[in-house]
Amino acid sequence: MTLGDTVSLAARNLGQAKLRTALTMLGVSIGIASLSGMVSLGVGLERQFVSRFTNAGLFDAITVTSTRAPFPGFGRSGRGRGPVPFGRRGGPTRVESAEPAAPPAPDPPLPALDDAAIASFAALPHVKDAYPNIRLPVQLTFDGLSEFGAVVGVPLSTRGQGAFQTMRFGTFFANDTDRACILSYDLATRMIEGDASKLIGRELTFSYVSKTQTSGDAATVPPVPSVPSVPNVPPGVAAAVASRRVAVTCRILGAVERDPAVGGAGVQALVAGVMIPISQAKAIDADSMTSTTMAAATPNRGAGYPAVTIKVERSQFTKDVQTGVRALGFQTFSIIDAIEDATRAFIILDIVLGLIGSIALAVSSLGIMNTMVMSILERTREIGVMKAIGGSDADVRGIFLVEASVIGVIGGAAGVFLGWAVSRVINIGANIYIERQGGTAATLFSMPWWLILGAIGFSLLVSLAAGSYPARRAARLDPIQALRHD
Amino acid sequence: MSEEEVCPGEDRSLPVRSSIDEGVTSAYPLRVPHLEARDLTRHYRMGEVTVRALDGVSFSVERGEFVALLGTSGSGKSTLLNLLAGLDRPTSGSLRVSDQDLASLSSQQMSLYRRNAVGIIFQSFNLISTMSATDNVALSMMFAGVARRDRERKAADLLAAMGLAGRRHHRPRELSGGEQQRVAIARALANDPPLVLADEPTGNLDSRTSREIMTLIKTLNARDGKTVVLVTHDTNLASTYADRQLTMLDGTIVEQAPA
Repeated sequence: MTLGDTVSLAARNLGQAKLRTALTMLGVSIGIASLSGMVSLGVGLERQFVSRFTNAGLFDAITVTSTRAPFPGFGRSGRGRGPVPFGRRGGPTRVESAEPAAPPAPDPPLPALDDAAIASFAALPHVKDAYPNIRLPVQLTFDGLSEFGAVVGVPLSTRGQGAFQTMRFGTFFANDTDRACILSYDLATRMIEGDASKLIGRELTFSYVSKTQTSGDAATVPPVPSVPSVPNVPPGVAAAVASRRVAVTCRILGAVERDPAVGGAGVQALVAGVMIPISQAKAIDADSMTSTTMAAATPNRGAGYPAVTIKVERSQFTKDVQTGVRALGFQTFSIIDAIEDATRAFIILDIVLGLIGSIALAVSSLGIMNTMVMSILERTREIGVMKAIGGSDADVRGIFLVEASVIGVIGGAAGVFLGWAVSRVINIGANIYIERQGGTAATLFSMPWWLILGAIGFSLLVSLAAGSYPARRAARLDPIQALRHD
Repeated sequence: MSEEEVCPGEDRSLPVRSSIDEGVTSAYPLRVPHLEARDLTRHYRMGEVTVRALDGVSFSVERGEFVALLGTSGSGKSTLLNLLAGLDRPTSGSLRVSDQDLASLSSQQMSLYRRNAVGIIFQSFNLISTMSATDNVALSMMFAGVARRDRERKAADLLAAMGLAGRRHHRPRELSGGEQQRVAIARALANDPPLVLADEPTGNLDSRTSREIMTLIKTLNARDGKTVVLVTHDTNLASTYADRQLTMLDGTIVEQAPA
């Protein structure tokens, strides 16, 4: 008996009891809807979580530092990669990094995180771009507004990426020579009442404390500072200590929803800021009294920039590039490190949600079994006839297994659709509530192809399992007894 | 499922045999034993009691012979027919059909035997009520792996040979008793078996229809060379159509006589 004949015979049998078949399929579809809906919620929440980081362009970003202490802000860099002295690839263990009490004398000097180091990062495979993280404290003035803020250097290569993927309004830098700037939307809304996009083309002035006595034009300041600066000194104090305040005026191009969060340091990202091309930021940093760039190494930090951001071609190369950079003696941090635990938590969430959703499917599998057993009782004589005219045990078993499979596949497909439809309705309702509460609408449920096919496949497996006992029972029927059955 | 395992005497490559109309003579030489039982027993346990449904039956049937099994209810004739049909296994003794020992066959081989070597006609027709006449006839060919178009054509030919050309799309409940039994006969012939077993085939039919059905069965024997074993309690029927009568009583054959 061919599979096609078995399927057509099974379909005919199911068609003989349309209502019962439909109700059984409905039971399966509710079970699968519950399962797929629950898992799609887990997947949706995970995607929401991950997309926040992806949109910020952080999955393909590595922050490089040259410090002996663990990377500030996360306290995770001790995880197998605390201080990485030269010649010690792979880094010390957590215990070792927790005890940085090694005598300072034998410590090799920390490598300088300077332009030469950046060039060496850029030469590594799969590296798309490498640029220093420059974030300068400045005084912002615009009309009557005057507040303390930060200027961030943005490489032109980030055009259309990360935070610049979806600009709130305006355009990205056309080149790195124009005195132009992009604002964080938060800052923009404080600068003007009503439509913030009216800021486009207006001029914003920010000022910093120069350590030189030369011209206030940042483009003309000497590129190399003569003395190490004092980091994070408020402008007023700096002005009192050193010389004079330099004002820089830039034309506003637009605004982004979020700060691009250079360096991946979350604390910095919280500060609303002004973004300017990185070459201009480097020039200002070199001239600024509050520059964090160091000409000489200290015992706990190498010379050069405080941190460098490396963008990799794709996020799967992040780990490889991190390894390559650590081999050069630097410390690295990627948001992937921080997100790993969260991803594991989401897997557990998916499993828990899947188990909850499976309860309904388990109940519906009993429904399949019941339907099949009833069907055998009704068709006992028919099974006897089939066996008497040459149907083998395997033929009879096959017919019943295919019947269960048809219920599973159709019920599964209907269940996925039902789950999708219900999740859409819940999502719409939830978003209405979220927006009323002042939040941003989000896609809470996500039903990728693997979930659709997986749910139907799982439904098929469950149906086969539920149908296997009745099918075996049908196959083992004694034909003589079956033929006597009324 | 192995479809290559064909029972002796079976040739599925033969064209459709609407042989009742064509008058084909027997394909098998006479006087060669088609089935042979030796000291056959079939005992059942019913609680503490052992029921000896068959208690040492020995007989043989030649190829192309028409044998009637006579006996009262409970004499063991239906039990013997079930053994011949491959639906049951003997407790002891040997039963050789077409030179194979049925007792030694596996479950799968038994299925193949029932499918290819034997056609069964029941008293209560045993048609599948949800299937058309054609589908009922084609069902055993479906188990044999015959392609849909071939089996439907052959089923149509067999039904036409039974005089049911215009009734092939009808379901059993739309057919008279005689018509249903004709469909059952067509089904029994679907895989062209050399042996036809009929268990009280006219028990549910009126006398005129009974004669028609018996004439059909006789034609299968006389013209197509099918070996026929007929179970009946009707001695007139047996003497009219059978070559030989075996009379059973309490699980044994008490009389063997030519009709």
